[in-house]
Amino acid sequence: MNIGLNEYLFVSGLLFAIGFFGVLLRRNTLVIYMCMELMLNAVNLALVAFSRYNQTMDGNIFVFFIITVAAAEVAVGLAIIVALYRKRRSVEVDDLNALSH
Amino acid sequence: MNQQLLTSLSEQYASTNHWAVLWPEIALALLAVLVLLVDLFTGKVKALAVPLVAIVGQIAVLFALLFKASCEFEGSGVLFSGMILPSNLSEVMRIFFVLASILVSWLGMVYLKKQYLPRMEFYCLTLLVTAAMMLLAQSANFVMLFVALETVTIGFYVLVSYGRNSAFSLEGGLKYLVLGGTSTAILLFGIVLLYGIGGNPNLPAHTTDSLNFAALEGFLAANADNFIAKIGVVLVICGICFKIGAVPFQIWIPDVYQGAPTPVTAFLAVSSKAAGFIVLINLVMGPFAPMKELTVPLLSAIAVVTILFGNLTAIGQRNVKRVIGLSGVAHAGYLLLGVVALCKGIELGAWAIIFYLFTYLFGSFAVFGVMAQVAGVDDENQDVDHYIDLARRQPFLAGVLAIGLGSLAGIPPLAGFIGKVFLFIVAFQAELYTLLGAAITGVVISIYYYFGWIREAYYKPQSWPTDKPVQPMQVCVGHKVALAALAIVTVLLGFYQGAFGSGF
Repeated sequence: MNIGLNEYLFVSGLLFAIGFFGVLLRRNTLVIYMCMELMLNAVNLALVAFSRYNQTMDGNIFVFFIITVAAAEVAVGLAIIVALYRKRRSVEVDDLNALSH
Repeated sequence: MNQQLLTSLSEQYASTNHWAVLWPEIALALLAVLVLLVDLFTGKVKALAVPLVAIVGQIAVLFALLFKASCEFEGSGVLFSGMILPSNLSEVMRIFFVLASILVSWLGMVYLKKQYLPRMEFYCLTLLVTAAMMLLAQSANFVMLFVALETVTIGFYVLVSYGRNSAFSLEGGLKYLVLGGTSTAILLFGIVLLYGIGGNPNLPAHTTDSLNFAALEGFLAANADNFIAKIGVVLVICGICFKIGAVPFQIWIPDVYQGAPTPVTAFLAVSSKAAGFIVLINLVMGPFAPMKELTVPLLSAIAVVTILFGNLTAIGQRNVKRVIGLSGVAHAGYLLLGVVALCKGIELGAWAIIFYLFTYLFGSFAVFGVMAQVAGVDDENQDVDHYIDLARRQPFLAGVLAIGLGSLAGIPPLAGFIGKVFLFIVAFQAELYTLLGAAITGVVISIYYYFGWIREAYYKPQSWPTDKPVQPMQVCVGHKVALAALAIVTVLLGFYQGAFGSGF
């Protein structure tokens, strides 16, 4: 069986959808965070697949930039979550409702 | 053989790296390092030395930029292998970002004086974020755009949660992080689709450099009806709409604006929004220009909903940071009028947007300057009630507040009015009559809540005890001078617009 561009794009789209609905529906901040990473990895998969299909290297290089930026985002994000946990003793979204009108 | 090829390739690419073009960004980055060192090596005077170095350094960059802007701008061809493309617009936006960053550093001084927080990181991050915004305004390649945008966004995650002793600030930071991260992923997915379809060897006019704006424009011109390309364009615009706070991507705005420290709120409201708009301008004038049939209705719909939503929700708010945030959503809607006009080929739209952004900068910072003075230690808790009778406690602050809010509302002699007129003129030229109707309705609604705020400052409610002693507020001379300068510029820009005015 030959795996072509469409199969990769299907998996990528699926991963992106799982990540997107995870961010919308899950109530735990850490799980939401993982879902965000899932979306970025869906993008990486699509980039590599397109890069191979189009025979250009730009997509492969772009993946490294995305991984680097995602690492920086995780570092900042986990720091905020830890600081918030120290204040509020919870990482559940439902408990984070201090800011509302 | 391979060695030779590699050397010649690297020479070919390095030949377009003209670092001198990026001197303001490099100067700001070096200034950020200098701030770190000053903090390390000055002992007790650090509370004064750090902001002084940051602000004086930025003023020097600002004057150098102004001096250079007075010279004629010459195009410099391909830079950094097509990553960077400076233009007249990006030169003006550099001045805008430095000006905003100076004012943010000044507000930071006022804020940090009241808080028990580290000081140096605030100035350092502000400088780095500003440098990244300048790069963003000039990026001509999606890789560059993404990296610059993320440098800005990650800097903002830290800045929004800077008040780490306050659960509100941290919560605001977390909300910004989750929604910002999601919008980044959406933007990236759009970019990937455009990259993939633009380089597809089976399509006409495919390109080997589909991340480059100019190459992508060529491809989209030949394939304007391609379904995947359309989805890519919509996703990229959605990602940018998050940054400018347009409906339906505005949900983060009120909470994040309220939770963030006041100077950061100002930074988000002015610079971050302006950065989003300059990217949008670059995109609709560049790669997305052939997709007019898609972008015009999409952005028009977003503009109408944004204007009405922002103004209607701002009415019910009591917290002034939320009022500013939601009215900022409405301002993004007015600015989208200019973008839609630009899509329809009215070149003047870009300058109308930039002039509006400048009037928004002066008006907003006048208001934020007053807010930073009036705010207590609980930075997130700033109610309209705190402004009751401000005119008797501190008539100067009340005056600046009235001018700033008047300009934001668009009251005739002030700068904000002229800014709106310019935007409406370009919208009229582009025959966007529905949008104009929505915008004018929005302006009328906005007068209600802006003047509600001014009324609190000037009139006492009936229930207010008459024998309550007036507590005067102390404002130091330096801050008075800065606030007065902002108010004066706001008034002057209403009468004289310089080079901007002659275009209309």
